[in-house]
Amino acid sequence: MNSDIKFFRVGVASCGVAAGSAEVRAMLEAASSVPVTGVGCIGHCYAEPIVEAVLKDGSSVFYSGVKANEKSIANIIELGEENRFQIPETRKSKELVKVLALAGKVDPVDFDDYVANGGYEGLKKALAMTPAEVVNEVKIAGLRGRGGGGFPTGNKWGFLAAKEAEEKIVVCNADEGDPGAFMDRALMESVPHQVMEGMLIAAYATGATKIFIYCRAEYPLAIKNISTAIAQICEHKLNVFSNREIEIVIKEGAGAFVCGEETALIASLEGRRGQPRFRPPFPTDSGYNGFPTMINNVETFGNVPLILREGGSAFASIGTEGSKGTKIFALAGDLKYPGLVEVPMGTTLNEIVFDIGGADRSVVKAVQTGGPSGGCIPVELFDTPVDYDSLRALGAIMGSGGMIVVGNDRCMVETARYFLDFTHRESCGKCTFCRVGTMRMFEILERITAGKGTEDDLTTLEDLGAKIKAGSLCGLGQTAPNPVLATLRFYRNEYEEHVREHRCAALQCNAFVDLSLDTNKCVKCKLCVKTCPVGAIGDDFTIDNDKCTRCNSCADVCPKNAIKRVAKGTK
Amino acid sequence: MDCQFAYLRKLPDIPGNLIRGLQLIQATEGYVSDEAIKAAAAYFHQTPVEVEGVLSFYAQFKRVKPGRFKIAVCDGTACHIKGSPLIQEWIRQAIGIAPGETDAEGRFSLESVACLGCCSLAPVMSINGRVYGKLDRRELNRILKEYKEK
Amino acid sequence: MSIEFILDNRTVTAEPGETILEVARKNGIEIPTLCRDERISKTTSCFVCVVKDLKTGKFIPSCSACPAPGQNIDSSSDEVKDMRRTALNLLLSEHAGDCEAPCTIACPAHANVEEYVRAGKNGNFMEALKIIKQRIPLPLSIGRVCPRFCEKQCRRNVYGQPVAINEFKRTAADICYDEYMEDLPVLSGKKAAIIGGGPAGLSAAYYLRLGGVAPVIFEAMPEAGGMLRYGIPEYRLPKAILDRELAHFEKMGVEFRFNSKIGENISLDELKKEYDAVILAVGCWSGSSIRCEGEELALSGIEFLRDVVQSGNSLANPGRVAVVGGGNSAMDCVRTAVRLGSTDVNCFYRRTEKEMPAEKLEIEEAKEEGVKFHFLAAPVKLEKRNGVLALTFRKMELGEPDASGRRKPVEVPGSDYTLEFDTVIAAIGQKTSAPAGVPTDRHGDIPQLTGEKLYAAGDCVSGAATVVEGVASGRAAANLVLKDLLGIPLPVEHSIYVSRGNWQSLSKEDLVFLRDDVSDSPREELKYISLEERKNSFKEVNFTMTPEQLAKEGARCIECSCTDKHDCALRKHGECYHCDPEAFPGAKQKPSYDIRHPKIIQDRSKCIKCGVCVKTCKEVVNLTLLSPKLRGFATYVGTAFDQGFPAGCSDCGKCIEACPTGALDWRIKK
Repeated sequence: MNSDIKFFRVGVASCGVAAGSAEVRAMLEAASSVPVTGVGCIGHCYAEPIVEAVLKDGSSVFYSGVKANEKSIANIIELGEENRFQIPETRKSKELVKVLALAGKVDPVDFDDYVANGGYEGLKKALAMTPAEVVNEVKIAGLRGRGGGGFPTGNKWGFLAAKEAEEKIVVCNADEGDPGAFMDRALMESVPHQVMEGMLIAAYATGATKIFIYCRAEYPLAIKNISTAIAQICEHKLNVFSNREIEIVIKEGAGAFVCGEETALIASLEGRRGQPRFRPPFPTDSGYNGFPTMINNVETFGNVPLILREGGSAFASIGTEGSKGTKIFALAGDLKYPGLVEVPMGTTLNEIVFDIGGADRSVVKAVQTGGPSGGCIPVELFDTPVDYDSLRALGAIMGSGGMIVVGNDRCMVETARYFLDFTHRESCGKCTFCRVGTMRMFEILERITAGKGTEDDLTTLEDLGAKIKAGSLCGLGQTAPNPVLATLRFYRNEYEEHVREHRCAALQCNAFVDLSLDTNKCVKCKLCVKTCPVGAIGDDFTIDNDKCTRCNSCADVCPKNAIKRVAKGTK
Repeated sequence: MDCQFAYLRKLPDIPGNLIRGLQLIQATEGYVSDEAIKAAAAYFHQTPVEVEGVLSFYAQFKRVKPGRFKIAVCDGTACHIKGSPLIQEWIRQAIGIAPGETDAEGRFSLESVACLGCCSLAPVMSINGRVYGKLDRRELNRILKEYKEK
Repeated sequence: MSIEFILDNRTVTAEPGETILEVARKNGIEIPTLCRDERISKTTSCFVCVVKDLKTGKFIPSCSACPAPGQNIDSSSDEVKDMRRTALNLLLSEHAGDCEAPCTIACPAHANVEEYVRAGKNGNFMEALKIIKQRIPLPLSIGRVCPRFCEKQCRRNVYGQPVAINEFKRTAADICYDEYMEDLPVLSGKKAAIIGGGPAGLSAAYYLRLGGVAPVIFEAMPEAGGMLRYGIPEYRLPKAILDRELAHFEKMGVEFRFNSKIGENISLDELKKEYDAVILAVGCWSGSSIRCEGEELALSGIEFLRDVVQSGNSLANPGRVAVVGGGNSAMDCVRTAVRLGSTDVNCFYRRTEKEMPAEKLEIEEAKEEGVKFHFLAAPVKLEKRNGVLALTFRKMELGEPDASGRRKPVEVPGSDYTLEFDTVIAAIGQKTSAPAGVPTDRHGDIPQLTGEKLYAAGDCVSGAATVVEGVASGRAAANLVLKDLLGIPLPVEHSIYVSRGNWQSLSKEDLVFLRDDVSDSPREELKYISLEERKNSFKEVNFTMTPEQLAKEGARCIECSCTDKHDCALRKHGECYHCDPEAFPGAKQKPSYDIRHPKIIQDRSKCIKCGVCVKTCKEVVNLTLLSPKLRGFATYVGTAFDQGFPAGCSDCGKCIEACPTGALDWRIKK
C-alpha cells in the first residue's frame, strides 16, 4: 500500500455501477487500509469505473476503466502507472464546473461531508435575508429554468411569493423524461443535498409550506439518495424556519414523459392520469389540490445555492446576455468522450462536441438537442453559441440538456421517425392535434422509411407539423414535430432521396438495403451461416436477400468484416 | 379490505396517494391484478374504472405477472443510435420473446423502456434493475446465458 | 367587472369567467365545438373551437380561454377555418363507422333500405312501402327487375349471401300498392311537360306532383312504361303488374298523352310556351349495330323485344337464333326466343363468362332454360345464303386489361368459323336518339340542364342504364324544377360518408351488431314456376316472397348505419368545414363495440376521446362508471375491466345525450 494515499473515491453513481464499480469498491475496501468513499459522478462516464486516489498532499491520481480483479486493484493501491487517467486538456480549458463542483467529490449521503465543503451556506445566507430579498437575488442572477422552457426563475418565485394561501407548494420536477438526458439523475445521485438546499431556499423565499420531489421511478439510486438527504435535513431541522416546518415528500413518477409538463405533473401528484389542462389558471394561482404551486427542475434548484453563496451578480457575470450561468449537458452518441459536461452558457457547439466530446470532425453530421422536443443542428452551424435563444432560432431547443451527436452513418429520416415513435406513444391522448396528429406524422415517416413515401407526404409533414405545433394543448404536442421539421429543413435531400430514388444513403432503412458478402474476405468459417436466424445464408455463402430480415447478426459475428450493408439491388 | 392488500394501510387513504398505492402493490406482488385494483379503489375511495384509468396511463404498471428476470432494453436516443433495436432482435432470437412478452416458463420478461439514464454506456439494458452497458451480441448472449443457468 | 375585447373586428363585452366561445355565441358568432358541454367542467380536448389571438399569433381553444382586456380574436379567417378543418379531419381519420348503411349508399335512388327492411320484417308493409316510395315510385316493377346494387354491397355478404333486399319492395308493393295513397299537396298552378313515359319520366312526374306541380306526360308509344313495357319481357315483368303500377299515377292526377312524338305531332317550342318546365326523358331507343359486314341483316335486341310485346307475346318461332352480346338485354333476347318456341338459342360473347355484364342470376336462369353460350367469339361477317343467315365469327383471346379494368379481347388470326341461323339479334347496347334541336354531348346524350325551362333525365342523359338509375335521375330533375318554379330548396345531400369499407375488405369481427337477434339463417330462396312452364310460356318465372319469408330475411339484416346519423356533431361540423375523412389515411381504432347492456351500445371506434361522457357520469350523475384508459393514440373510454356497464348504471342516458358522435347511444335507430 502506497503511504502517500490519504483515501480513495470510487464513482458509484448509476453509470459507474453499470460499468462494475460496486465490485471494484468492494475489492478496494477489502484491500485498502485507508478509507474508501463512494461518490457520485464526475461526468467522465466513458472512463467508468473511475477510482480517485486522494494523496496526503491534496493532489489526486485518477484511474479509469478499473477492473474488479486483484491485479487492477493492486496497481491502484501501489499508485501504479497502469490505467492512469488524465482529463483531456482541451476539455479542461473549456469546462467551467460550478453546479457539479461537488459531484464526485463528496459522499452523496454524508451530510457532514457536504457541510464541510460549503454546503448549506447558501441556505444560511438566505435565512439571514428577507424572503423578498432572496427572490430578488435570484432575479439579479438571471437564472432561467433549466428544464427546457427557460422561464425566468426569479419571476416564478415572485408569483408564488405574492400569493396568500393556507398552503403553498414548491415542486421539484425530477421526472427527467427526455431519453438521452441524465444531468438531473447525476445531480440527485451525486449531490442530493445541493438540490435539496435549493428547494429549501425556494420554500423560504416563496413562503411555501410543502415540498414535493417528483422523481422518475427509473432512478432508484437518485430516489434513495434524496430520501436519505431528506431524513438528514429533518434530523438537523433545516426544514424549520419562519415559524413553520416544511413538509418534504418524495413521489415517484410512474413512467409518463408528459408529466414533465407542469399541469400534468400536478395531476400525477394528485394521483390522477397525467393529463395536462388548459392554462390559465397557472399553477402559481391554482396548482396541487388548488393551492398555489411552483415547479422548478432539479438543475435549476441545483444552481440556487451557488447564487446565494456567491451572490446574484457573480452568477450573472457568467454566460451570455440572455442566458446566465453555466449549463450541464449530457453528451452521448457518436463521440469519443460521452458523459456530463458543464460549460458557461454561450459556449459553441464546436467547443462542446469536438473540444470536449472529442468527436471526429469527419464523421459528425449533426447534433440533436432537446431530445424528442428539440431539433437537429447540422455540423455546418456548430459555431452557434448554446443559449436558449440561439437554439430556438434554429428550430431546436435547449431542452433539459441532452445532446446526442449524430454521425454520418445515421439516416435523418429514421432519426425523425424514432422521435415521433416516442412522442406519439407518450402523448397523453387528450387533444386532437397531438393524439392523432403525431400518430399520422409517425405513420408517414414509417411509410417513407419503408420505401412507400411520396413527395406529397413531405408537404403533409410540413403542413401538419406546423398545425400540431400551433394547435396542441401542451408543450409535448407543441414541440413534438420539431425533430421532423428540423430534419426537413436541414436534410430535405435525404427525405427526397427516400421518396424519389428509393435510396437511404446511410444504409439504415432496411427497405433500401441488402446484405452482401465479400467472398475475397470470407474465410468460410460458417459462423454467419450458423448465426442467421432465418437461414438466409446458404452453404455456398450466398445471401438470399428475400429471406434476410436485415437483423445484422451475420455482419456482427463475422470475424473478417466480410458482410456489409449495401444499397438494395447492388450486384 | 382483502387481507392480501392490507399493507395499503401504510399509506393515508387520500385519493392523492393512489399512484403510490399502486406502486406499493406492484413492488409487493410484481404486478397489479384485478383484485388489487378493486382493493385500491375501495381503499382510496374511487371506482375501479378510475383506478384502471390511472394505472393504464403510466408505463410502469404491469397487469400480468412478469417473469422471474425482468429485462428492460433501453430505447432512449443514445441507445437507439447505438443499435438498441438490434439488441431487442437478438434477445428475441435468444429467448424468443418480444417487448411486452414473458416466456412460457415465466422465466424472462422483456420490455422496451424510454431511458435508463446511462446514455454514455449505450446500448444498455437492465435485468432486475442491474444495468449492463456497452452491449454487443457476444456480451448480450453471455449475460443471457448466465441468467438462463440461474 | 366586464371586459372589452375584439372578436372578428367587433368590440364585444365579456362577463368575468365567460369564455371566448360563450361570448361569441352571445354575439351570434358560431364557433364549432365537440367537447364543450356546459353541464360539466371543461375538457379542452377536440380543438375544433380554435380561434387566433392576433396579437400573439397563437391559436387558443375558445371553449376554455377567457378573453383578456383588449385582446384581438379572429374566429373567421381562412387560417382559423383551416385549423378547424384539420382538427376535424384528424378526428375523422381515426373515426370508424358507417354514417349510412352501404346498401343505401349503393342504391342509385338512395332508398332507405334499412328502414323498409325493418318495417317489412315486422310485417308493417304499408310503412315499408311508404319508405320505399320516398325514393322509388315504381316498387312493383323495380321490385322485380332491379339488378340490386344494394345487395351487392350488403355486409351480409361477409357471411355468404346478402339480405334479399329487393324482395321487400316486391312483397310490400304486391300487398299494399293499390290501397296506398300519398298525401298530395294542393297544386301550385305550375305545370310541367314530361317527354317520355318511361321510368325517368314517371319518376319525375311523381315527385313533381308530390311537390305541387301538375305533370303531363307525352308518350310516343300507345302505352306508358317505356323500357319497362317494351324492353323488359313479360316473364320478368308481367304487363298486368306494370298496368297496376301505372294506374296509380293516373289516380294521383298525372296526365298522359299517348302517341305523342316530339318533332312529329308535338313541338318542343310549343311545349316550352305552354308549360312552366319541360323535362326530356326520351330514353335510349336506337340499338347499336354489331359493326361488321352485313350488319343490316341483324335485328337489334330492342327491336326484337318490342316486336314481341307488340305481338302480344305471340311472335312466330324465330328458328335457330344467335344473340350477340353479354348484357341483360342479351339475356332478355335469348330467354324470350326460348319462350317463342326456339330450341336452338345461342348467345355469343367476345369475352368470357366472368366478364359478362349480365346479372349472374339471369345467366343461370338462361342456362337452365337451355340457352347455349359461346365465349371468346366476335362476329366478323353476316350474309344471307339460301334463305338462311351465315354468321362468321373470329376466335378471341383475353389480353391486357382495358380502361374498364376488364381484360381486352384480342383476335386470334386465322380462327374464323361460320354458323347458320334463322335469326340474328344484336344486343350490344342502345343509344340516345335526341330530338332535333336539343343539344347533345359527344356521346349523343343530353345534358341534365339544357336551357331555359328545359331539363332532362334518365337514359337520354346517362346513356342506357337501369330502371332504378332512371327513377333517381327523374327525381333529381323534378327537384330542380321544384326549386326553379316554387323555390323549394334542393334536398340537403351529405358530403361525408364515413365507412368501415366494402364487405370484401371486412371480416366477421369488423361487423357491428346493434341487435341481439340478428339471425344466422341462410337467405330465403325464391320459389319458381316449373322449368317446363318457364320454357313454354311468358308467365312470370318466380313468386313473390311471403311475409313469413321476409320476417326471416329481415332478421338477417345487421342494420349497419350509425345510430347517430341524424345528429352526429362530427359529421355536421365536418360537412360544414368541407372535411375529407380520407385526408389523413392511417390506422383507425380497432372495431370494438359493446352491446352487453340491454339498452346501450358503446362503439369505441366512433369515439373522439373528448371525455365528455366520463365527466358527465362523474360530475352530473355522480357515478364514475367510465374512464379514459391507456394514452396516446390508443386512448379509449372503457368501463371497469371492460366488462360493460355494470349493475350500478342507472340507464339515465346522460352520457348518451352528451356524446357528440354515435360512440355511446341507445340501441335503437331513430
